[in-house]
Amino acid sequence: MAVVDVHRFAESITCHAWSPDLSMVALCPNNTEVHIYKSLSQDHWERLHVLQKHDQIVSGIDWSSKSNKIVTVSHDRNSYVWSLEGAEWVPTLVILRLNRAALCVQWSPKENKFAVGSGAKTVCICYYEQENNWWVSKLIRKRHESSVTSVAWHPNNVLLATTSTDGKCRVFSTFIKGVDTKDSKAGSPAETKFGEQILQLDLSYSWAFGVKWSPSGNTLAYVGHSSMIYFVDDVGPSPLAQSVAFRDLPLRDVLFISEKMVIGVGYDSNPMVFASDDTGIWSFIRYIGEKKAASSNSSYSSQFSEAFGKFYGSQSKSTTANDASESRGGVHDNCINSIVSLSKAGSPKVMRFSTSGLDGKVAIWDLENMEQELGNQF
Amino acid sequence: MANSLRLYLACIKNTLEAAMCLQNFPCQEVERHNKPEVELKTSPELLLNPVLICRNEAEKCLIETSINSLRISLKVKQADELENILTKKFLRFLSMRAEAFQVLRRKPVQGYDISFLITNYHCEEMQKQKLIDFIIQFMEDIEKEIRDLKESVNTRGRLVATEFLKQFM
Repeated sequence: MAVVDVHRFAESITCHAWSPDLSMVALCPNNTEVHIYKSLSQDHWERLHVLQKHDQIVSGIDWSSKSNKIVTVSHDRNSYVWSLEGAEWVPTLVILRLNRAALCVQWSPKENKFAVGSGAKTVCICYYEQENNWWVSKLIRKRHESSVTSVAWHPNNVLLATTSTDGKCRVFSTFIKGVDTKDSKAGSPAETKFGEQILQLDLSYSWAFGVKWSPSGNTLAYVGHSSMIYFVDDVGPSPLAQSVAFRDLPLRDVLFISEKMVIGVGYDSNPMVFASDDTGIWSFIRYIGEKKAASSNSSYSSQFSEAFGKFYGSQSKSTTANDASESRGGVHDNCINSIVSLSKAGSPKVMRFSTSGLDGKVAIWDLENMEQELGNQF
Repeated sequence: MANSLRLYLACIKNTLEAAMCLQNFPCQEVERHNKPEVELKTSPELLLNPVLICRNEAEKCLIETSINSLRISLKVKQADELENILTKKFLRFLSMRAEAFQVLRRKPVQGYDISFLITNYHCEEMQKQKLIDFIIQFMEDIEKEIRDLKESVNTRGRLVATEFLKQFM
């Protein structure tokens, strides 16, 4: 079993983030608050802080690893950056200039700015203005035709990938004079102009979620609502795109645990492993949770007995169907909507990660003892 | 006949499992609002293709899905005028008590007998599998209920006619 710890914090969790030293977790219990818990011992958590400033559901939390700041966004169009002063978290209002809900947020790798995706069909890039002592935002207004559901920073701190409910994944330059510095690595003049669209991917026919870059920034992965996951290698002038279809329910989020392996989580309540072989072909490997395999077998058996009953008119056993339904449970009982890496910043492989879902649980997974099962694809 | 019903219900159950992948999604048109997109239909990209499952011409189930809500509309089999009246009265009785059901819509969709509206809030509060089982059970029970009502009306009609004709013996 890959799970090392499971704890139920609330009825439902919309998002969660870990502190830099991984001893505290900030989560939203599907309301206007953000709760910060600290682990005292195995299976015992204490609530240290409640951050209460938002008016509506908090939809995104991110905790920076170097500067120890928490950024939260909410459906009330606002965003706050929380700093620890003494023993209290103090909010600073971010001037987002949005007129619709904010949906997701992520700090950039250097943590001098963060990106907010919104229902206003724009992306805000927020940075700190020293002379005025507040956070200001610049908007990427172009080309999104629907709500921006997820944002992801490239390791170079300039490129930003976004997914939208119009099914497209786009890559923008977010170069800001005064915040970023020009260096020789910049590939083209477009990458030094704010808001310029570098790339647009039209692989998905349904809503797109959960975009992520690989640790090196060479590969992009995102998921579509049609039970598809898309991989784009060599992101640049001529990218190589792949679509992987899987049975079972769609995914909501992905996480690169190495350059060649991705964990996807979603409505099936069970993390999935996708990996690339030596030739660069991505495919589904297996589920991480153990009960799912039994459930699949039950499902097949049920379908077969149903088809058998169709020919002979006999009463197929409903207990089999019930067994299949009951065994759907695993670590999580409802949709998993968030997956966060638990490795120290900078390490190339992610051996530990955490998931949170609508059942209110946060689960910590460790792939150390699964390395043999998953092969040497790390 | 029983097999046909079971296959019909199994098909609906599988479709609902795939369709009931809902998430919280604030309104794109009005700020600070959160409305079922399957009712508003203001953003076409937030709607998925409707699925119509037919057992025969008279008995069908329409499933309309959006990003944060799901609408299920049922047409119950009505073989004759008596079943028409019974179905209309019984389902109207249920619809007027929609609050007790939580997922029942107060007014059926045009052309259907009864409708459910399931939002992401229902999926968060209740278990998704139990919601699906409830709807399947509801469809089975409606069929039995209408049949029982019809039998009791026929029985009572026959009894009344018998008593009436006794005065001529």
